[in-house]
Amino acid sequence: MVDATVAKQLVEAIIANLPEPVGKRRPVHTIGIGVKGKFVASEVARDYCVAEHFNGETFDVSVRFSNGLGGLHQHDGWSDVRGMATRFHLSDGNGTDLIATTLGEFFVRNVDDFFEFARIATLAPYPKRSAWQKFLDLLQLKVPQRDPYPNETQNVNAGALRYADGHRFAQLGVFQEGVIGAPVSYARASYHAVHTFMVKDPDGVRRPVRFSWQPVAGVSNSDPNAVPRDKYLFEEIAKRLQPWPARFMLMMTIGEDGDALDDPTKPWPGTRRRILMGTLTLTDVPKDQEKEGERISFNPTRLHDGIEVSSDPILEARRCTYEVSREMRGGCPFRWS
Amino acid sequence: MPGDQGFWDRLVTKLAQCDGFKRVASWTLVPFWASRTPVKPLPGGPHPAVQPSDNLQCMMNLIMPLKVKSPIGRAEAALAIAQNKDAIYAGLNNVGTVHFARFVIVGDNICMFSVYDGDFTNYIRDFIATIGQVFNAVVELVEGGEEVLPCEDHVEAFIQWVHERDLYQVPDTATDFLRDQEALKGDTAVSGNDDLTLLPRQMILQLRANPNVSLGSGYRAYPGFSVAQVRKQLGLGW
Repeated sequence: MVDATVAKQLVEAIIANLPEPVGKRRPVHTIGIGVKGKFVASEVARDYCVAEHFNGETFDVSVRFSNGLGGLHQHDGWSDVRGMATRFHLSDGNGTDLIATTLGEFFVRNVDDFFEFARIATLAPYPKRSAWQKFLDLLQLKVPQRDPYPNETQNVNAGALRYADGHRFAQLGVFQEGVIGAPVSYARASYHAVHTFMVKDPDGVRRPVRFSWQPVAGVSNSDPNAVPRDKYLFEEIAKRLQPWPARFMLMMTIGEDGDALDDPTKPWPGTRRRILMGTLTLTDVPKDQEKEGERISFNPTRLHDGIEVSSDPILEARRCTYEVSREMRGGCPFRWS
Repeated sequence: MPGDQGFWDRLVTKLAQCDGFKRVASWTLVPFWASRTPVKPLPGGPHPAVQPSDNLQCMMNLIMPLKVKSPIGRAEAALAIAQNKDAIYAGLNNVGTVHFARFVIVGDNICMFSVYDGDFTNYIRDFIATIGQVFNAVVELVEGGEEVLPCEDHVEAFIQWVHERDLYQVPDTATDFLRDQEALKGDTAVSGNDDLTLLPRQMILQLRANPNVSLGSGYRAYPGFSVAQVRKQLGLGW
């Protein structure tokens, strides 16, 4: 059980690794933008889950897209995990959240792993590799390490790699993070909720599932060899939504016996049944970003009848950690159902 | 970044992208590293799994070099398939576990790609029973095929022969192929003293050992459903 003390230590471990203090802002996913939209479930969604937002009616949603890095400087063009936190506003005034990122799998299995990761993957200088070193890499059939981005002097890459070298469960997450790139638009990336949830159907059957948002516009990254631009994603999403909405499909993959239900580092095979649960239509970027993008507070365990958490210890840890972080930054409290 | 690269940086960057360097590296560096860190061929076919959906819509990808490497050899292969159309459909309808099957000629190879439900050995065994003559007609045109013909008289040897020609299926996630390499070496440790930066080299050496592979475990529009379920749902009868 992760209590408030451990949750505070988790948040402090993240804050200790920031390149700069972020004040009353989120310690990670600091830079983000709120977007408004509607969600309508597919015709089959209610056969799998009795949660209200899957009943086929139209629900208002609040979405916050974000860059994964912690820090006050915006680096849209850097290779980085992106976030998509979604709140479905329910009929009784409550809400239910779904938090997803472009990372398909997480890099630690539990809280102890996370503390060890935070101890090893600390900020360290990131010098440019010399041409001679790069040539030696080529001779060893390695891909030479990329040059630092403009103004990038340090990162956690070396430590994360060291951690992954010693922990095979972390290798997929760390490898994916290393090659993830930068999307041309927040609306052109796939986002994965990573954890397993349990959904209940009208007959009371409970199934383990994982959720992903897939962009109707398709996935597209920027050129990794070009000089990255620092600020374009906010303007791009606002411009994109002026003439026409952007859409995402919510896909739900059903796990089977033997699949990892409590380990977000393990992927499920592509052979699992996946169900189209609904379509999200993003319509506009609200003007009050302080309220809609900053003070709004999400929690991956804010769930409604019909969806429950699994035994995933990272998911359980996020319940308290997000609340501690919200309190520390003065985020807006929200009613739990 | 491109903007602040010096002459030597640009040279190395260009070298890494240069086809000439890749060719030279293939003749020199790849054999050198293959001798220093030998890699065994990984076995073909789907990864063994107990979960139901992993045993549905399995892939078989056979690449079989023709004996006669010329348009005549390729025409013989094309004719062998064309002459057996009725036998193929009859087998397909009787066995009832194949989503689709294709015969393709690529260069001087006859390839058979299929998607089937259930156990691989049963799949081949069923087809030996129903369309053994088609297998015989095709395999007699293929290098090394004569040892297992007629397939009806060499059932187990034929199944093994086919399995040995089934392509290794590179997993969907990059690091899972490292797990396949470790499993082949009997290394099942949860953690090791690995070097993730060597992943590109390990992939190169693996593709040297397995020159032909299937990339990914297959991308399915309706995963988790068998031929029988699809036909029933669509009202096609059995």
